[in-house]
Amino acid sequence: MENFTNTTIDTTQLPRFEEVQFSKLHPNHWKVILINTAITFFVLAIVAGFLFYFNEEIEEARWHALIAFVVLLLVTILFSRIGFKKRGFAFREHDVLFQSGIIATKTIVIPYNRVQHVALHEGLASRYFGLAKVEIFTAGGSSSDIEIPGIEKEQAENIKQLLMGKIQKQL
Amino acid sequence: MNPSDFSQPQRQSPVGVLVMFFYTLQQYLRALWPILVIWVFKFDEINKLYLALGAISLIVLIGVVSYLKYLNFTFFLDEENEEFIITEGILNKTKTTIQLNKIQQVNINQSLIQKFVGVYALDVDTAGSSKKEGSIKAISHNLALELKARLLENERKIVSSEIESEQSAVAEASPEEHPFIKISFLTLLKVGITSNYLRSLGLLLLFVSTIYENLSNFTEDDLLENQNFDEYNYFDGTAIFKGILILVTFLFLIVLIINLVRVVFKYFDYKIAKQKGSLLLSFGLLNTKSTIIKPEKVQITTVTRNFFQKKMDILEIKIKQATSGEPEEKKSAIEIPGCSESERDQILKLLFKSIPEKGAMLKPNFRKLVFSIFTTIVLPLSLYLAFAEWVEPEAFEFIYIVPAYALFIGLILYFSFRNYRLFVSDHFIIKQSGAWDIENEIIEPGKIQAITTSQLFWHKKADIGSIILHTAGGNVAFQLGDFTRIKKHVNLWLYEIETSDSNWM
Repeated sequence: MENFTNTTIDTTQLPRFEEVQFSKLHPNHWKVILINTAITFFVLAIVAGFLFYFNEEIEEARWHALIAFVVLLLVTILFSRIGFKKRGFAFREHDVLFQSGIIATKTIVIPYNRVQHVALHEGLASRYFGLAKVEIFTAGGSSSDIEIPGIEKEQAENIKQLLMGKIQKQL
Repeated sequence: MNPSDFSQPQRQSPVGVLVMFFYTLQQYLRALWPILVIWVFKFDEINKLYLALGAISLIVLIGVVSYLKYLNFTFFLDEENEEFIITEGILNKTKTTIQLNKIQQVNINQSLIQKFVGVYALDVDTAGSSKKEGSIKAISHNLALELKARLLENERKIVSSEIESEQSAVAEASPEEHPFIKISFLTLLKVGITSNYLRSLGLLLLFVSTIYENLSNFTEDDLLENQNFDEYNYFDGTAIFKGILILVTFLFLIVLIINLVRVVFKYFDYKIAKQKGSLLLSFGLLNTKSTIIKPEKVQITTVTRNFFQKKMDILEIKIKQATSGEPEEKKSAIEIPGCSESERDQILKLLFKSIPEKGAMLKPNFRKLVFSIFTTIVLPLSLYLAFAEWVEPEAFEFIYIVPAYALFIGLILYFSFRNYRLFVSDHFIIKQSGAWDIENEIIEPGKIQAITTSQLFWHKKADIGSIILHTAGGNVAFQLGDFTRIKKHVNLWLYEIETSDSNWM
């Protein structure tokens, strides 16, 4: 009891989540995004190609479709690039932060003592570059989960260990 | 064979390949059904040889995929770190790690296919999210039981004591219990006439449209519609107006009656009793329902009241709990209709140990009002006018709807903007919203699971932004408030959550 103190906290002195320096995703993750976009658009192109090959009535629309296809591809790449640039993560002593968004800047904070479980996901393209995605789940439903892509496999394992350790310590 | 050794990564039962096969087949069929339908219709035109080859190669492919899935699916118990780890995926690999003490439930199920093969499915469920976190599709019954026992080992004490207390609670929830709140028949009548107009109207419309559809199906050539149409031409303006007036009054009366009957049936003889700090509810005319509310499991408490209800001193309380049961159970909130203000205070005191006070107020920026006016009034009306101008000039006949719509929606928007508030005090966060039915959502900072803040880049200068508080019972969002203040609150809440080990359920 002697050690018990209950001093007033100065709320202005609290650590600020908005001033945290975010780590960027691994540069190779951009390549992963490009590969995935390329695959998606390749499939789309094949489907469109078949459609135009077998259906002669819409032959005149061919050039329009091509232009639309290229514009869509460029816009997708542009937005992916902005999205990639704006994503970042930070691990503080007591919580994990993830920032994302293209027109809005969205920051989500999960305190470690609210983490339910952690998963490590490796996509085919990311595996080639030795990258992995860390997924952090809470009890607050899917909107409150964090997915951090583009982390080196080893670092991702470390992050997972860190999180599991933090969760353990809470108990 | 040493079935009790889960510490090494192990695969599912070998017959699990069959289960995987059927599941994958099911998946493929679901994805490919349009093509299959075409095949069935063009059966005669298609070369049988190609069809057979296609089908065989598909089945072989699925076989290979399911075998690979089986090979790549392993699970094991990490005794040292007390974790349950599942690895899955052929090309895309996922490794899920679940802390043993976070596991709420382990269910052993058997679907038709699994019954056929003689294996069981084991699902691991943690709190909150609705989907199953870990799922093993094929495991023998003995192994499943053993694994379940191991997974729940450190939980067992807590679980068993909880079940015990729940059972005793149920046992004592008999009518002999002295309820401290009883909702009288008169109050239910009051609730019936003052709430849920929209829901009843929706139900009514559904009912009418179903009947209409059945009728028109019955009389093949749309007899109803034709008749109405012919007679319409003989009506003059005043008759139509009178008709509409009568119809509206009639509709309103029906809605009231439906509401009354529904409320009385659902909530007849509503009793609330206290039991070891929990609330026991029982209600219902035909089948009596009883529920237990444990204060520590309560996530969001909503108090709703409209103008009429305020005059009559009644209000409705909705309580969302964190449960680990079935998904549909998670979604539903427990409703207490028709309490008086003093009864509300009693209930809130029981749930929170004190009556939640409204603290510092946060108002939304005027842009919120402007934006909602734009999306719900300006945009649809200009679409309508453009449509009438360029496409269908006859639509101008309904031009009188424009001011009525603008006025009605405008009023709703104005009042919802005026009522849109966030109150933050030391122990409670209260969000007020609604145009007619004014809602107060009450949460405790300790129940927050995660916090999302977001800001559009053109709102940076105006220093406004939004916040979403995620709890195990749903989200509470507040849009376009003073962002500096929001961030200050977030920092304080994070500090509170991270320095205390308060139990959120």
